Amino acid sequence: MPSPDTWTSPTLAADQIVRMAMRILIIEDDRDAADYLVKAFREVGHVADMATDGEEGLALALEARHDVLIVDRMLPKRDGLSIIGALREKAINVPVLILSALGQVDDRVKGLRAGGDDYLAKPYAFSELLARIEVLARRRPGPNEETVYRIGDLELDRLSHEVTRGGAEIALQPREFRLLEYLMKHAGQVVTRTMLLENVWDYHFDPQTNVIDVHISRLRSKIDKGFSRPLLHTIRGAGYMVRDAKGANIPAP
Amino acid sequence: MTALGKLVRTTAFKLSFAYLLVFALFAGALLVYFAWTTRALVTSQIAQTVEAEITGLAEQYRQAGIRRLVLIVDTRSRRPGSSLYLVTTATGEALAGNVGSLPPGTLERTGLIEITYHRPDEADESREALVRVFRLENGFRLLVGRDLEERERLHNIITTAGHWSIALVIVLGLAGGFFITRRVLKRVDAMTATTQTIMAGNFGGRLPVAGTGDEFDRLADNLNVMLARIEALMHGLAEVSDNIAHDLKTPLTRLRNHAEEALRTATNEAAYRDALVNTIEESDGLIRTFNALLMIARAESGHTRETFETFDATEIVRDICELYEPLAEENGLRLKVITDTALPVRGNRELVSQALSNLMDNAIKYAVPASTGDNARAITISATGREGKALVSVADSGPGIPAGDRVRATERFVRLESSRTKPGSGLGLSLVAAVARLHDGELQLVDNNPGLVATIVLPLAAHAES
Repeated sequence: MPSPDTWTSPTLAADQIVRMAMRILIIEDDRDAADYLVKAFREVGHVADMATDGEEGLALALEARHDVLIVDRMLPKRDGLSIIGALREKAINVPVLILSALGQVDDRVKGLRAGGDDYLAKPYAFSELLARIEVLARRRPGPNEETVYRIGDLELDRLSHEVTRGGAEIALQPREFRLLEYLMKHAGQVVTRTMLLENVWDYHFDPQTNVIDVHISRLRSKIDKGFSRPLLHTIRGAGYMVRDAKGANIPAP
Repeated sequence: MTALGKLVRTTAFKLSFAYLLVFALFAGALLVYFAWTTRALVTSQIAQTVEAEITGLAEQYRQAGIRRLVLIVDTRSRRPGSSLYLVTTATGEALAGNVGSLPPGTLERTGLIEITYHRPDEADESREALVRVFRLENGFRLLVGRDLEERERLHNIITTAGHWSIALVIVLGLAGGFFITRRVLKRVDAMTATTQTIMAGNFGGRLPVAGTGDEFDRLADNLNVMLARIEALMHGLAEVSDNIAHDLKTPLTRLRNHAEEALRTATNEAAYRDALVNTIEESDGLIRTFNALLMIARAESGHTRETFETFDATEIVRDICELYEPLAEENGLRLKVITDTALPVRGNRELVSQALSNLMDNAIKYAVPASTGDNARAITISATGREGKALVSVADSGPGIPAGDRVRATERFVRLESSRTKPGSGLGLSLVAAVARLHDGELQLVDNNPGLVATIVLPLAAHAES
C-alpha cells in the first residue's frame, strides 16, 4: 500500500474556517474560566453570555435565546444536572454540553443520562470545546436526515453503503465508511480526534498513540488521491474537516 | 463520672441486674408456692386426724353413753399436746374438755372450721385452732380440734428462710455483677487505651488478645486484621503520594524550565510560539498522567462496579485490533488475531478496552524496529477461553521485561530503566492491572522468548454468577 505521506496533505489553519455566528450561554462558577471562554468564543465570531451560579444560569437558559449551552456540573445554588433536568421538563431542547472536572466513564454516563448532549472533561483544549459546540448547535433533527451525503463530486449513500467520487466507485472497509459518514455528516465543521473515537469507535478514552491519524491517512488516500481538489482537510491543532474548497456546502444553521 | 457510676452504666452490669431481678422473682414465686402447699398439706393431715378421732369418740358414745364419753374426753384433755376437746349439752353447757371460750355460734356450725379460742387457764391469750363440731344423739355436742401453733411455726420457718435466701440471692447477684462488670470493663478499657494510641498515630498498635477465645478475643482478632489492612493502605498511600510527587514534579519542573529558558533566550515571535506549543504539550502529558492516576484510583475503589454489564471479550479484541491495525502496519508490524467463539464477561467494556489499548500501545512502542526475522515483527492479540476464564493477551517480540521486574512493572508509576527514554506516564501496566483486579481477574506477564506476553485473565460471566 502506498504511504499516505507521499503527497502533501491539505492543511488549514483554524482561522481559515468560515463560521455561522452562534449564541452561547456559559454557566460556570469559576469567573476566570468563564471570562476566558467568553473572550475566546467572541474571537471566533460567536456571541457568548455567562452566568456564575446555577439559579442565574437556569433563569437565562429559560429565556431560550441561546443556540447551545455549556454547563459546569458543580455550581453554587443549583447543580448543572438539575439545570438540564429543569430545562427538559419545560420542553426546552436546546443542546447542552456538560463541562466537568468529573471525567471518569461513569461520570460521563451519569451526565448524558441526565439529559446532556455531550460531555467534556476539564481540563480541555479550546479547539476541542469549539468543535463540539459547533457540531451540537448545528445538529439537524434526526428522522428526516438525508440518505445521500454530497460534498463536491464525492457521494456517500447511507442505505446502499456506496461511495463514489466523480462517478467512480471507491471501496471502503466498514469502519472507513462510518468514519467518512461521520465526517460528511458534519461537513464544513471541525471534527476532533476524540469526537471520532467517541462517535465512530464508541471509545471514550484517549489512546496515547496517533491511531486516528493513521485511519484518516488511509481514508484520505482512498478518497482524495489522484484528485486535484482535496476534500478531507487537516485543521492544524484541532482535527479534521470534510469540505469543498469553495465552501459552497457549509450547511445553514 | 465516678468509678461506681461507670460500673453501673456498663452493659454487663445492666444485664447482670436484669438477670438478678428475674431470678429473684422466680425464687420468690417458688418459695410462696412451697409455703402454701406445705400449709395445705399440714391442714389436710390435721383434718384427717380430727375426723378419725371424732368417729372414734362418737362410736364410744353410741356404745357406752354420755358418761363414758365425758370420762374419755376428760382423760384425753389432760394429756399434753395440741389436741382440743369439748363436750356440751344441747344448751351449750360444758361437761368436759380443755377449751375455755369459743366464738359464739361455733357449736351450731358443722364441718371443719378455723376458730380463735381461749384455753381455760389463759383467758387473755387467744389461739388458733382447726376444729370440728359433731352433733350426738340427745342434743349433746362433741368438738374435736387441733391447735394450729405447729402449723404456724412451720410456716414462719419457711417464710423466714425464704426472706433470707432472697436477700442472699440479691447480695450475691450484685456482687457477681460487679465482679463480672469489672472484668469486662478492664478488657474494654485496655482496648480503648490501645485504640487511643492508634488514633494518636501509632498504626503499628494492636488490640490485646487474652487467648481465651471468647467474644472479646474474636472481636480483637477481627479488629486487628482490620488495623493491619488499614496500616497497609496507609503505607501504600504514603508510597503512592511519594511516587505521585516524583512523577508529577518531574514533568512540572521540565515545563517550568522550558518556560524560563524561553523567557531568557527567545528573541523572536517564532521562538516564543515554539515555547508555548511545548508548554501545552507538556501540560497535556501531565493531564494524561493525572487522568490515569484517577482512573486507577477509581478502579481500585471498586466504585465503577455499578456500571457493569455483560459483553463479549472476543468482540473487544476484534474492535481494538481493527483500531490499531493501520498504526501497526505503518510501524512495519503484522497484527495476528486469534479469537475463540463468544466469551461472555461481566464488567465495564470501556475500561477493558482501554486496558487492552494500553497493552497494544506498549507492544507497538517497544516493538523491535529492525527485523531479525518475520516473526519478530508480529504482534499476536488473542482472546481464548480456558477453565472458566477468558484470557485476553497481547504478545510481542520486543525487549520484554526481565523476570525479576515483572511484578514491579504492574505497580503504579514504575518505569523500568530500559523504558525511561520512551514517552509515557509509566502508568500503563498499573492501569491494566487495576482494571483486571476490578473485574476479579489479574494481569499476567510471561516471557515470549523474545518479547512479552501480557494476559488479562477475566472470569467468564457464567462462572462468575454461579
